[in-house]
Amino acid sequence: MQEIRKRLTKVEERINYIGQVKGSADWGNIDSVAQRFKGVQDAIFDLSAEQMAEKIHNLEEELAFLEERAEESLTGMDRVRIVRSPLRFSLKDILENVYEDYTELGGEEEDSIDASMVCAKATVSAIIKGKTVTQQVMVIGHEKGHGEEYRNGGCSKPWGNEKALRFMMVAQTEGIPIHSYIFTPGSFPTEDYPGAGQQIARNIYAMTKLEVPIISIISEGGSGGAEAIGCSDYRLMFSHGYYSVISPEGGAAIEGKVREGEKIPAEMVESCAERLKISAADNLRLKTIDRVVDEPVLGAKRDDFEFFKRIKYEMIRATDEVVLKTKSLRAFRNYEMKLKRSTKEFGDDAHIDVSWELNRDELARLLDMRSKKYRQMGCEGLCTKDGILGCLANRVKEKSSKYFYNIRYDLLHSHQKQVKQVMHDVTSESSAVIKHVTGPLAGIFGFFTRKPDTERLPASRDLDREELYDNTYTSPLANEDRTITCPNSEQSGCKDLWVPDLYGQFGGVCENCGHHFPLEYQWYLKNLFDRDSIREFNSKISARNPLDSPAFEKRLQDAFKKTGRRSAMITFDARVHGVEVVVAMLYSNFRNGTVGATEGEKFVQAAERARMMRRPLLSYVHTTGGIRIQEGTLGVTQMPKCTMAVREYVDAGGLYMVVYDNNSYAGPVASFLGCSYYQFAIRSSRVGFAGPRVIRDTTGEDIPPDYHSARNALKRGHIQGIWDRREFRTNLHKSLMTMGGKSLYYR
Amino acid sequence: MSQHDTVNYEAVLSKFREDPFTYVDIHAMHTGQIRFHVHEGDQVEGLTGDFRHIKGTLLCELTRERNQKPIHCTTKGEVSFVNKDLDGKFVQAGEKIMTIRHPLKKREIIEQILRKVLVPFAAPEKAKYYFAMDIQSRIEKFGQRSVSVKAGDELFTMSLMKRDTPVFYAGESGLIHSVYFKQGQSMEQGEPLVGICPPEKIAVVEKVITRVKAEWE
Amino acid sequence: MKAKVLIANRGEIAIRIATACEDLGHDFIMIYTDADKDSEHVRRYADGSGKEQKVWRISSYTDPNEILSIADHTSCTAIHPGYGFFSEDYRFARRVTIRDRPLIFIGPKWEVIRDLGDKINTKKVANELGIPTIPGTSAPIYNEMEAESVAAKLLNEQLEQGITEPSILVKAAAGGGGMGIEEVRRIEQFRRTYREVKNYAKRQFGDGGVLIETCLRDYNHLEVQLLCSQHGEQLHFGTRNCTIQSTGRQKRLEAAPGFDDSCFDYAFDSKEVLAQVIDYSLKLAAHVHYDNVGTWEWIVARNGQPYLLEVNTRIQVENDVSARISFYKNKQPNLLREQIRVALGEKIGYSQRKVVFKGACIEFRIVAEDTSRDFAPWIGKITRFEFPKHDWSAVYTQVPSDRTYDIPSDFDPNLALALVWGDSIAQAKERGRAFLKEVSIQGETSSGEPMMTNLQYLNDNIERLLTF
Repeated sequence: MQEIRKRLTKVEERINYIGQVKGSADWGNIDSVAQRFKGVQDAIFDLSAEQMAEKIHNLEEELAFLEERAEESLTGMDRVRIVRSPLRFSLKDILENVYEDYTELGGEEEDSIDASMVCAKATVSAIIKGKTVTQQVMVIGHEKGHGEEYRNGGCSKPWGNEKALRFMMVAQTEGIPIHSYIFTPGSFPTEDYPGAGQQIARNIYAMTKLEVPIISIISEGGSGGAEAIGCSDYRLMFSHGYYSVISPEGGAAIEGKVREGEKIPAEMVESCAERLKISAADNLRLKTIDRVVDEPVLGAKRDDFEFFKRIKYEMIRATDEVVLKTKSLRAFRNYEMKLKRSTKEFGDDAHIDVSWELNRDELARLLDMRSKKYRQMGCEGLCTKDGILGCLANRVKEKSSKYFYNIRYDLLHSHQKQVKQVMHDVTSESSAVIKHVTGPLAGIFGFFTRKPDTERLPASRDLDREELYDNTYTSPLANEDRTITCPNSEQSGCKDLWVPDLYGQFGGVCENCGHHFPLEYQWYLKNLFDRDSIREFNSKISARNPLDSPAFEKRLQDAFKKTGRRSAMITFDARVHGVEVVVAMLYSNFRNGTVGATEGEKFVQAAERARMMRRPLLSYVHTTGGIRIQEGTLGVTQMPKCTMAVREYVDAGGLYMVVYDNNSYAGPVASFLGCSYYQFAIRSSRVGFAGPRVIRDTTGEDIPPDYHSARNALKRGHIQGIWDRREFRTNLHKSLMTMGGKSLYYR
Repeated sequence: MSQHDTVNYEAVLSKFREDPFTYVDIHAMHTGQIRFHVHEGDQVEGLTGDFRHIKGTLLCELTRERNQKPIHCTTKGEVSFVNKDLDGKFVQAGEKIMTIRHPLKKREIIEQILRKVLVPFAAPEKAKYYFAMDIQSRIEKFGQRSVSVKAGDELFTMSLMKRDTPVFYAGESGLIHSVYFKQGQSMEQGEPLVGICPPEKIAVVEKVITRVKAEWE
Repeated sequence: MKAKVLIANRGEIAIRIATACEDLGHDFIMIYTDADKDSEHVRRYADGSGKEQKVWRISSYTDPNEILSIADHTSCTAIHPGYGFFSEDYRFARRVTIRDRPLIFIGPKWEVIRDLGDKINTKKVANELGIPTIPGTSAPIYNEMEAESVAAKLLNEQLEQGITEPSILVKAAAGGGGMGIEEVRRIEQFRRTYREVKNYAKRQFGDGGVLIETCLRDYNHLEVQLLCSQHGEQLHFGTRNCTIQSTGRQKRLEAAPGFDDSCFDYAFDSKEVLAQVIDYSLKLAAHVHYDNVGTWEWIVARNGQPYLLEVNTRIQVENDVSARISFYKNKQPNLLREQIRVALGEKIGYSQRKVVFKGACIEFRIVAEDTSRDFAPWIGKITRFEFPKHDWSAVYTQVPSDRTYDIPSDFDPNLALALVWGDSIAQAKERGRAFLKEVSIQGETSSGEPMMTNLQYLNDNIERLLTF
């Protein structure tokens, strides 16, 4: 009887589960199955055990068939519902079943700084040739729990992510691999210190060069929250998980321009989930993950014990692979051969003895491979309009200039001092003869060591007014005889501003209260940099529609037409009062300054260029709306990709500065912008992680109107200062001089 | 407690019961062409939202130099008068354009009764007033009702004839209980700027508050 | 062509402009704020309604949008800014003239207002033309070392000239109206003062630029009245002396001509100096193609060395002082009328030779103030306001004489301008004293205290006029 009851419960669970996954209780013919189940359940006292068993068996058969059918027709949204099901396995289940033993770090259960993030020191054992081999790992991941409120659904707060980072550093100190489990619908959108975006940026920045193997696996990969612990050497994904740039509901609301408070039609959400290409198979195809871990039909649940064995096998295997690749190609081949010879597909005895400890050289290779891995993210098919040849020509040009800079900086750098000393010694005893001899020599040396302009700058500058304001450019906004109201007029008593004055002479600033009205990005190009000093590069690399969404194709074409540009990022060389800089600029007109694979690639190339030429790198963010959702996870992976580029640039000694203007939100702020040591904002701008609406939608609470203001960002320690637009150039120059030091390039 | 400190609650409250409203006149803040968006009898909403950041009902628009400026309601109530003749016309600054009948809230009734209880400090001249720097910073730090003043304290800065003159408090010491002026707005001479609550009147004030809270629904 | 002038000002000047318009046959519109509703400039023209409505209520005299909105609504064709308010605001002038419905700005063209309104620029242009300006920096200084060497040089120069107590002024370049100015007498003090001013300037004006110039102690402050037209005509109406000023550098007494040998034994040839400053003024006016009325302000040191101080690109309060000693066809001209005429594009129509200078004139600015208490403004109600009428005097006022008047608290407490003139400065002074004696002003504050004015102060200071 007990057995029968158990089976009945299980059957009921399965019926409900199918309904849940499919989002309706009458999918296929489950409602009729449910009816029959009712009948069987009611008959429990009327029928004999055998009869019952048979009836249940029939139901089970039918259910198995239904599940197969459901599996075949899984939609994007079905996957989201699978992942959100309280029946699905969670990190705690993995810790219990995959690892030998574990100790939770930084809190226990609800007594934790952030119970949605679990860190644990764990041991994993494998039987190899009859012997048990145990190795230590650091497990870090989101814990959605099975309905407990304090888990916050796996939405980690900034301090949760900070905890994760802290224990990653512990892993680095101890030299043990990190197993990272991603079970999050997204980061909790709060700006409380240090702010969701800032913490994610710090995490990614640290992980790009963390000196231990990192293996990550995604069950629920919600955008920024996922990246906070997701930057890794090997990226696995559960076959029924999803990995997405945004929740399908959020995506639908944005794409369909649904107003706040209005209900988003279910079909819209469904089709958006499809378009976002969130499944494991899609992500594998897009190369945003390395391997898929198969789950049972309709996804694994917390009691699928066989499945945990599989996880264990996959995690060990992935760690082995990462470790072996750092050793030598031969070691890795050997390993693969042995794997092939192994009889069982997976299991305890399928393991091969690989020590996870790495020496210095191996660590260097590990980081190098991680760097290359992310460098490729989203690169496929990206090319300039003028085709492969153009690319090639660029490459050649780049190569040759690379040699020039290499000689100038790397080769000469060490000798420079000595040579200088010799030159000094020789010429100070100068007789006409000696000068004659050293002249040409000094010339050659001079060619390589000359530093353009920077050293000619006088100590203090009284800048001409004309120089400050390029009066050849007037904003087109100024060509209208009308007035507008300053938004602060009520508090500050500002008079209505005459538009030609406001956008002309005042540089878009209210003369009374200093409120900054938005200006077009061209204004900055004309007013921020020395006249005619801008040399754009990579202008032809074009934004794409990698997920082939027909609706987006049209919008993209519109953006091309509207802006006359090919992407939302403009990269160029320029001078600020004679200081040469490389600039990467996101601007609002093109898809609201969103970042996709093209923008990411352009940014990385700009960082590489700045590194090659030893120039400061400036990110001026006219506006960014976040990651371009229409590019799905290809967009999301630009976060670690670009952060990697920043990290390598800064580690090489570069000075990286970020200036925010207007509105800067989400992914880019939570990665390659937010990771800068030197971030500034223009007055009246807003900077943060999630916009007000997203915060209301996710937390159900309203935020003060000035929540994201630059002033509050300054108070929170996100930015270093607020600049007046009219003094942007002066401040930028000053900052370059003070922060960059004499060489304008740290070391 | 002296005789005049006691309030005849019955009389006062029944007066409020007869006419539990205030009437807020709305004037054109500057010249321009006006277009109404409400009619007499319409219910209107003031500032709302957790941070009082959601604007009230759009009452009318005033267009000047091609700037169509919306005028939003700041008090909840009913439109009791609209100067309809002005619709679409050019108005001068300060023209009365409509009246909002605002049902008094408990807090406001208490405030009105307290005007009779608290010690007022009147504007010495018709001028603009600001709290003195020190007082202002204390108010910001501790909140208005925990700042006390005594005779001789510099309480206000009076801005008059383009000159700033300090104004010193004279009268009984006590807490700044109520503020009747808006900083930087011109106040008529003799109008009370603040209501001061001397320590011995705290009991009376509290009584007023409990009484009104209990009797007013 | 008949113009319709919007008078963007208040008080006595508004009335003077209105009268000038009427004299010339032009229509006009008056504006006012609620505080001024009892002012004479409102009451006198308040009868009309509908199309005839002449006075319009606005929210503020300093909101250009209000003024232009009334100008458009009443179909005005020109705007007269008077003095103060928008008179020297080149952005206002520019907006008025380049907007979709352009209006005539009664004043110089906006480029001139801009260029001469910038003191640093004026100094630069003047120096280029060989016109002397107060020794000092020609552009803002941002560097302490550089500043100190300039300061040392200026102090030494003064010592060499035999000045026993040399002194320099350190000014915030972006400042104005006497703010951010400090005096330095010894070079040892300089760095400290420099830093103070620099920090103040940075805080207050967002720019740490500092100007340094010689501080003149004993000097005469002269004004040259010019009238120029768009057709290249340039006339002057002599000089005025406004050395006597109350605290806050408000002029209370002013006289024409600039010097008079009967008053003081100047250490220089006063006629020559006056001719010199007039010459210089005309030279600068010609260079910038000045095309309206304007006042060139000069400092004349004890040794007779003139320095150009600044140019006021507007009609000045005291314009009539000059007009009362100038005669064209035996008549004193009205500079407001002339200003409107030239702004509307007319020629002046007569040459300098036709202007004959004769006699002297003194102007008193009658103000409700407590002269013993730092000229603190007095506010209250005026119950009686009477002044004598002579053929050698004129009074301009917004205070009604037939009813009580509340002095509005939003503005300077100026009550009236009174001018007296005579064949010589001695006669003018005598008439001035007689005139002041006959003036009768009564009133009280809200608390019943009697009215205070500067009548006594004026009387006491007449004798000092031109005696420097």
